[in-house]
Amino acid sequence: MLNIFKRLWLVNWAEQWQYRANLVMYILYWLVSPIIYLAVWTSIATANGDVKGLTANDFVTYYMILLICDQLTSNIIIHIFAYKVQDGSLSGELIKPIHPMLTNTLVNDIAFKTLNMIVLTPIWIVLALLFKPDFASVSIGGILLSIPALLLGYMINFLLSGAITSLAFWTTRVYSIHEFYYAMILLFAGQFVPLTLMPDVIQSIARILPFQLFMYTPIQIIQGNLAMNEILQAYLTGVIWLVVVFILFRFIWRNGVKQYSAVGA
Amino acid sequence: MSPTITVEQLSKTYKVPEREGGFGAAVKSFFKRKYKDVEAVKKVDFNIEQGEIVGFLGPNGAGKTTTLKMLSGLLHPTGGKATVLGYTPWELKQDYLRSMTLVMGQRNRLSWDIPAADSFLLGQAIYRIPDNEYKATYKELNELLELEPLMKKPVRNLSLGERMKCEIAAGLLHRPKVLFLDEPTIGLDISGQVKIREFLREYNKRTGATILLTSHYMADVTALCERIIIIHHGQLKYDGGINNLSRRIAPFKLIGVTLGEVNGKDLSQYGEPVQNEEDAEKSFIQVKAEDVTKVTSRMLSDLPIHDITITDPPIEDVIERAFNE
Repeated sequence: MLNIFKRLWLVNWAEQWQYRANLVMYILYWLVSPIIYLAVWTSIATANGDVKGLTANDFVTYYMILLICDQLTSNIIIHIFAYKVQDGSLSGELIKPIHPMLTNTLVNDIAFKTLNMIVLTPIWIVLALLFKPDFASVSIGGILLSIPALLLGYMINFLLSGAITSLAFWTTRVYSIHEFYYAMILLFAGQFVPLTLMPDVIQSIARILPFQLFMYTPIQIIQGNLAMNEILQAYLTGVIWLVVVFILFRFIWRNGVKQYSAVGA
Repeated sequence: MSPTITVEQLSKTYKVPEREGGFGAAVKSFFKRKYKDVEAVKKVDFNIEQGEIVGFLGPNGAGKTTTLKMLSGLLHPTGGKATVLGYTPWELKQDYLRSMTLVMGQRNRLSWDIPAADSFLLGQAIYRIPDNEYKATYKELNELLELEPLMKKPVRNLSLGERMKCEIAAGLLHRPKVLFLDEPTIGLDISGQVKIREFLREYNKRTGATILLTSHYMADVTALCERIIIIHHGQLKYDGGINNLSRRIAPFKLIGVTLGEVNGKDLSQYGEPVQNEEDAEKSFIQVKAEDVTKVTSRMLSDLPIHDITITDPPIEDVIERAFNE
């Protein structure tokens, strides 16, 4: 199995390099929204002294960390998979003895992510020089503790996106459904605004949903804002969600493949 | 021992959305879609024994590819049963997928942007082929198909024929026991076709693999297959030896001529005129094979002929003629 992943990696990595120009455009596009939030919230906080106790530096560090967390936990499954269902090129993968989504698509996404991180690094440094965040509250311990949260976030996001993308087996409108999912992430993962600024109701909803793990929770852990028991609770919520979304993914996937082979692969 | 492939009353009906053109129809279909049932395969029965090479023929839309897709597991049938190597194909069991191959079209196993060599190694990993076995198989494939010069170039830079060679080789790395080949020689020049044919015969001899192939080229079939299965409009029309078949289908030849000033002249006194869209320059007639010499010499002396060709009629026409009555 390891050998399969190694080979898949070599193929996908080489393929990603063929499209590096696309990739730079994608990452610039992707950067726009968090940078706008960063600029807007920082200027509001600077003008008012603070927003509900959050200083300008809190916002700068929040969004600077968010750029990395978002990149690590997000995925592009919808773009690398849905069209294969629609144009039938999935057929070639379905008759190979490996799972198309959990092997090839996964590795493809990770290759894309790796290249993204390489492109993001210089941009991130330039932004840091511009906005001069003070990372005093960030510790090595915090960064290490954020890793399980980020991993859980990536896996949950991958399986949820995978489940939604698998709806392509039934409908061509899968892209709109995915847009809605993406909006949920913007809201409940804390990209529009750090969740502490949200009304209490939203915060309580966010706490039981899995989206926090994609950005807000790891950022809070890195910034040292969470106590150990809160961190453990976040992990636990993540593990429970992981099991739930895995079952959901498998259910949709299996029925999707049946559907695919019923209508004409 | 039971046959390698058993097919019993196998049927597939597609539901195809139906809609008339125009905006009104588009709006209406948004709320209520009309479907038409298209019976692609109707209650087909056949068995194939281990080691057989069987040609699967029929005009376009006859249900060949649908049947191959069902047997390889890509399609669920709407009725009937099939087993291949004892497995029900559409359950997509890993052990089944590891012991068969489906070669269909040009972009199945090879990644477009990278050299074929990398896709081959990925195949080795996916099918868990031990190194020594992989090397031996590759060596054999290379001997038969001359792959080596093609392996380092990105697949997108290969010609159609080169790609097909690599595609077939990639599909055989795991030494499948059953091969489903959909038009394995399509787009190849004559020498390419011959090479693929020789290769398939050799592979079948060396490994005892069972092969079911569709083709547009009668030559593929006559060179490789002792047995032919013909389907037409989804129904089994013929299953038997190729010799019986040629006796049954009176052998015809196509004579195509380019005439000087009298183009468009009525040629029906020489043979049955036929349409050929691919070559509008020429007029074609169909005559019995035994009459070819007689007819051509008559035409050559009667008519101002600039160019003349004698070819086999397309397989579709032959079948259409034999089974449409």
